[in-house]
Amino acid sequence: MKLHIENVRHSFEGTPALAPTTLDVEEGAFVSIVGPSGCGKSTLFNIISGLIRPTAGRVLLDGRNVTGTTGHVGYMLQKDLLLPWRTVTENIVLGAALHGRVSRRDREEAIALAERYGLAGFVDHFPHALSGGMRQRVALMRTLAFHKDVMLLDEPFGALDSQTRLRMQQWLLDVWADHGRTILFITHDVDEAIFLSDRVHVMSARPGHIRASFEIELDRPRGFELLTSDAFTELKKEILNLIYSETLKQLEREGEAA
Amino acid sequence: MTRVRLRGSLQILLPLLLTAAVFGIWDLVVRVFDIQPYVLPAPRAVFSQIGTDWDVLQPAMFQTIEEFVIGFAVGVACGFVLAVAMGQSRILQRGLYPLLIASQAVPIIAIAAALVIWLGFGLTPKIVIVALIVFFPVVVNVLDGLTNVDRDAIALARAMGANDFRILLHIRLPATLTPLFSALKLAATFSVTGAVLGEWSASTTGGLGVYLLEQNSRLNTAGVFAAILLLSAIGIVGFLLVAGAEQLATPWRTRPTPRRLPFRRSRGVRGRAVPASIKGGSS
Repeated sequence: MKLHIENVRHSFEGTPALAPTTLDVEEGAFVSIVGPSGCGKSTLFNIISGLIRPTAGRVLLDGRNVTGTTGHVGYMLQKDLLLPWRTVTENIVLGAALHGRVSRRDREEAIALAERYGLAGFVDHFPHALSGGMRQRVALMRTLAFHKDVMLLDEPFGALDSQTRLRMQQWLLDVWADHGRTILFITHDVDEAIFLSDRVHVMSARPGHIRASFEIELDRPRGFELLTSDAFTELKKEILNLIYSETLKQLEREGEAA
Repeated sequence: MTRVRLRGSLQILLPLLLTAAVFGIWDLVVRVFDIQPYVLPAPRAVFSQIGTDWDVLQPAMFQTIEEFVIGFAVGVACGFVLAVAMGQSRILQRGLYPLLIASQAVPIIAIAAALVIWLGFGLTPKIVIVALIVFFPVVVNVLDGLTNVDRDAIALARAMGANDFRILLHIRLPATLTPLFSALKLAATFSVTGAVLGEWSASTTGGLGVYLLEQNSRLNTAGVFAAILLLSAIGIVGFLLVAGAEQLATPWRTRPTPRRLPFRRSRGVRGRAVPASIKGGSS
């Protein structure tokens, strides 16, 4: 098992945010997590990345306990967080810069990545000169160039328009196929989760835990025609029903509290 | 001439034309209302005063420039270091902020008198006054820059395993450049006032401020205006230098790519084989 999350739970100042959660991710898998907003998805990611030390539980990476320590996984957010004063190349090598020195090889690799993934003419551009989709691609290249087997992507395409989003999803699958990393992907878009993943985990309302898991046994490589196929629609119906019931629960609970 | 170049030269030409217009109106007003030279001299009289008194004015101007430049540098350096220190420690920030505000609330003239007692009549009290005026906007703006960095950007760097020093170096400090230059542009014009105030309170060695007072006591208004013109020139040149430095230091605000330095031209990578580590398996 590449990543093993064992009974991890977390409370913020006594308020439970994440109920005990256990999750296993196989090497090279593409795994999505969907769930109602505020269910603790991002808290889970912050725990895996080591930014938060969980109230209880362990995170094992390749069998090694990495709970509460940083620098083991790649992380990408909805905001691209590109540094405006760094060019595309310099942003891609940020991981190396934050660990001391950027070698010539790091730079060459960054330029090669940018050229391979359609930003050949932009390696020396500042982020402000790029479109939203391009910026998000640079952010993913920065995550790739950090050279960690596991990448956490927290709604990376959430801020993009739907056309750009479709292209980015397709592109992400290409990148994943090229690099064979293990990807954990948070989204609230069920289509996106099914289209991309080997497995989709549905989280419950706050405090969240894994409510159900779905194997997505759709053939790869996947194309856009998949989005309208019967198998896809069937899965989507099932997952949406589950999320909808969780959202209702959440609303009822909030109604009681009010 | 292309449109861009036309606009570029217009940007320089327009302020020059307007300045000329101001002098023109000034001259006209003096003529039409027959104003006495000791009330308001004509621009010609001021320029000829600068010409005839250049032997005195030139060293005075250099003196004032010296106070301006050294005071500016000291003020910026102190302000920047203080802001970074305060940005790193919440306790330091809480403790020092009221003191900082107090230092600005006390009239600078009052401090100037005390400074003469402590530091004498030399260059030092003038530098201190200029520095005192400069450093406050620098502290406030740099501190703003340090604290307004996107928390997620810092979280990302931390997730990548960066320590506090690298986060400061690569994320927080570069974010201060834009607000720093806003402060420097303000400071460049304040500094001249600071230098003159310093000279007025401790005036044994001459500068333009001293010259101005002397001419004033002789009712030589042309001399007063000569000093005023040169002081404004120092302020304007200071401002332009800061604005130019800003262009060089923060190219991402105005340009799509960095300025290409001649020795950096060869990237020497395009066309070379892709390193094996990122070469894709499929496609």
